[in-house]
Amino acid sequence: MSSLHLELKQMIIDTLDLEDIAAEEIINDEPLFVEGLCLDSIDALEIGLALQKRYGIKLKADSEETRQHFASINSLALLIESQGSR
Amino acid sequence: MLDFQVESWMAVAPGLESHGDWCNWLQNPQVVQGDLGSASLKQISPMLRRRFGVLGKCAVGAALPLVNEGENIPSIFASRHGDTPLTLSLLEGIGRNEPMSPTGFSLAVHNAVSGLFSIARKDVSGVTAVAAVEGLILQTLLEASGQLLTSGRVLCVVYDVPLPALYHGYCEGVARFPYAIAFILSHKKGKRYRLMQDKISRKKLAISESGFSHLDPEAMGFLEILTGLSTEMRFELNGRSWRLRRVCS
Repeated sequence: MSSLHLELKQMIIDTLDLEDIAAEEIINDEPLFVEGLCLDSIDALEIGLALQKRYGIKLKADSEETRQHFASINSLALLIESQGSR
Repeated sequence: MLDFQVESWMAVAPGLESHGDWCNWLQNPQVVQGDLGSASLKQISPMLRRRFGVLGKCAVGAALPLVNEGENIPSIFASRHGDTPLTLSLLEGIGRNEPMSPTGFSLAVHNAVSGLFSIARKDVSGVTAVAAVEGLILQTLLEASGQLLTSGRVLCVVYDVPLPALYHGYCEGVARFPYAIAFILSHKKGKRYRLMQDKISRKKLAISESGFSHLDPEAMGFLEILTGLSTEMRFELNGRSWRLRRVCS
């Protein structure tokens, strides 16, 4: 697991108050929303805000592209590697 | 004149949960401190539970034991201040020019707790949120009496947490600890009560001489009636006086 993947998982746990979940339990290629980690729409907004704060990435709230970026930890990591400033 | 029955009730505060706890405390009020006890929300999934703050834990911790799983019941959620500590933290964030947390914003609205409760129980029955400076419990009873005309039972939850220190100078009778009183009002079963408006309005009830009260005097009076320590209490609202009396059947 790359340090970026781990960093993203920890960011999600901290931002979303997922106290009962350890970073290792979040699987890189599993869905984050509805299935897999079972996050909801408010969590999506919260992650969007965290990405903006930490990596300077701004996303449109309701575009198909954003949906794809939010699919899994892997896709979020790709997004940050291509656009993020750290 | 309004007649109704209290089918069941549960009150929650740090260290106070059973009817016996409250009965003892009301007769010998002590300073209430510490965390909310075992009023944990085990029936609620961890993914939803993380959204509950102290206010929500308290309110739902009192309400959940009164309802059966899968049962539909309309509800009234009454809080004078709602989640003011959360609202203040959001305002402070705005003051520092920080972007606002969407979760924080969604949970700061007055009907947030009732919303979480209805999501957790998958109950789509009507929910009413009440906020009142004066006579919070009386307003809840009046609203519930109205709803009893169309519904056999109504769940009522009265709840508040202490205000942040910043507001203390602007507010009388603030809660000194988190508390919630949940009860089911019914026309079918339970102890009988009668609510009457007094013909002559009397002077406003004096808050205790020292100005110190552990809990809102209205909440104290209502708990005394629920526990059976008293059989009658008075409410003041908009210059009118009301009486709630236990009716022996």
